[in-house]
Amino acid sequence: MNTLIRLEVTRTLRNKKFMFFSVIYPSVIYLLISGTQNDTDKIPHTDLTLQSFFMVSMASFGALTAVLMGNSERIAKEREKGWVRQLRLTALPGRGYVLAKIASAAMVTLPCIVVVFLVAASVKHVRFDLWQWFALTGVIWAGSLVFAALGVAIGYLTSGDAVRPVTMIIYFGLSILGGLWMPSATFPQWLQNVSEWLPTHAYAALGQAVEMGGAPHARDVAVLCVYFLLFAGGAAWLYRKDTLKS
Amino acid sequence: MTTTATETTAARTAVVAFDQVTKAYGDVRAVDGLTLDLHPGETVALLGPNGAGKSSTLDLLLGLRPADSGTVRLFGTTPQEAIAAGRVGAMLQSGGLMEDVTVEELVRLGCDLHPRPYPVGEVLARAGIASIAGRMVNKLSGGQEQRVRFALATAGANDLIVLDEPTTGMDVTARQAFWATMREQAEQGRTVLFATHYLEEADAIADRVLVLHKGRLLADGTAAEIKAKAGARRISFELEGAIDEAALRALPFLSTLDISGRRVRIQSHNADATVHAVYGLGLYPRELEVAGLGLEQAFVAITEAEEARTA
Repeated sequence: MNTLIRLEVTRTLRNKKFMFFSVIYPSVIYLLISGTQNDTDKIPHTDLTLQSFFMVSMASFGALTAVLMGNSERIAKEREKGWVRQLRLTALPGRGYVLAKIASAAMVTLPCIVVVFLVAASVKHVRFDLWQWFALTGVIWAGSLVFAALGVAIGYLTSGDAVRPVTMIIYFGLSILGGLWMPSATFPQWLQNVSEWLPTHAYAALGQAVEMGGAPHARDVAVLCVYFLLFAGGAAWLYRKDTLKS
Repeated sequence: MTTTATETTAARTAVVAFDQVTKAYGDVRAVDGLTLDLHPGETVALLGPNGAGKSSTLDLLLGLRPADSGTVRLFGTTPQEAIAAGRVGAMLQSGGLMEDVTVEELVRLGCDLHPRPYPVGEVLARAGIASIAGRMVNKLSGGQEQRVRFALATAGANDLIVLDEPTTGMDVTARQAFWATMREQAEQGRTVLFATHYLEEADAIADRVLVLHKGRLLADGTAAEIKAKAGARRISFELEGAIDEAALRALPFLSTLDISGRRVRIQSHNADATVHAVYGLGLYPRELEVAGLGLEQAFVAITEAEEARTA
């Protein structure tokens, strides 16, 4: 199983085009969105500048993009080519496959997050304490694993031409409704009620709690853990059950 | 009591046991009430034309698809359990390979996932891919890919090896090397099951041949027995003048006779003797042709014989 994880990570790193765009993309979006704001405006009722709010949002969003899009499409392709059938003829348990996919996705998200932070600090003068930088990197990275698992599950639920549209709908739906693009405080009340329970909302909240100088809320962590178990368990189950023929 | 105990042991030691297994896709019955047992150490060919249900049978055997009804057991357990225990190695037509890795990395993975692995170098050498170990998997030719699949299927000490049309895309030399390796595996007491649509391949390799047609088991015997059943040849020629049908019908080894105009068509179980007898009648056949029945027609012949027998 460790060999599979190592191999999945190796071949993700070898895929230079995928790595390049996944890593650069969130920083580009960050610069585009934050470019419309000045460096001093603050989020209402807090000390946070919009720049630092968007930095965390975009790092989270970028990590989400890389793991969700990357995983679902690659897995759907591997299923069609029959590699998953071949793998199912080995003694590998379903969770081994899912863990390997999540691990390789995590390799992509770490540089995504770090590059957004570097850009924000150098271009937009975002400032935090040293512990906050590390904590932000840690929570955003860890949180992205939830969506990596979701990506694996989507790769199994859909196939062929449907993968991309389905991923896009889930991806934009979760990003916007979860408040990654704009603070969910601006939503009407009923939408806020929905938003609160989305994994993306809990995910963004992890980073925001650290930004405000505190620890992530237990509720957000719990919500993410439940989603992780749900997505990863579902993905492992679908892997074992998959009957797609090439 | 003794009988029951013996039967239980026999059921447990059967490598593969299909009991009334049926699988349909829509209206098509890909596997239709299949019952069969494979025993340790047998080399078995699953022979049938395209669409006979060979691949579906192997899918059910390997637990890649659930049967609609009936049971499939490997070593007395479910296919999934047998695979998880590392008792089964399989090479499928539809089995893809991982991309962006080298041949050696992929084979190493196969060895690593096996509970009783062989050394990587040995597996590469046996599959004849040691020289391309460093090549990327996505840059291989069809025949090379096939050998990598074979390496994955033999990465560890399996008790059963399942191969679906394994020599597709291989040249003659590769084919011979492949079967030599397979024979070695069989000599070590492994059970080998391979699907093929080449009668010759089944004849040369297998000590037991299962003939599958429309998802049903038509014949089960040694290659020689199957060949005798399917060994009919077609003889065709033209005759000048009046044709003596009764004399032709009396030809030795003749199974069917068809006369249309000058053209005479005969099916015979011993073409040499039949043709010899044609000349013996003092006839001068023109445009004489002798051809083997295609496998497709051989199956029709076996089916008809089977239906005639059961009718």
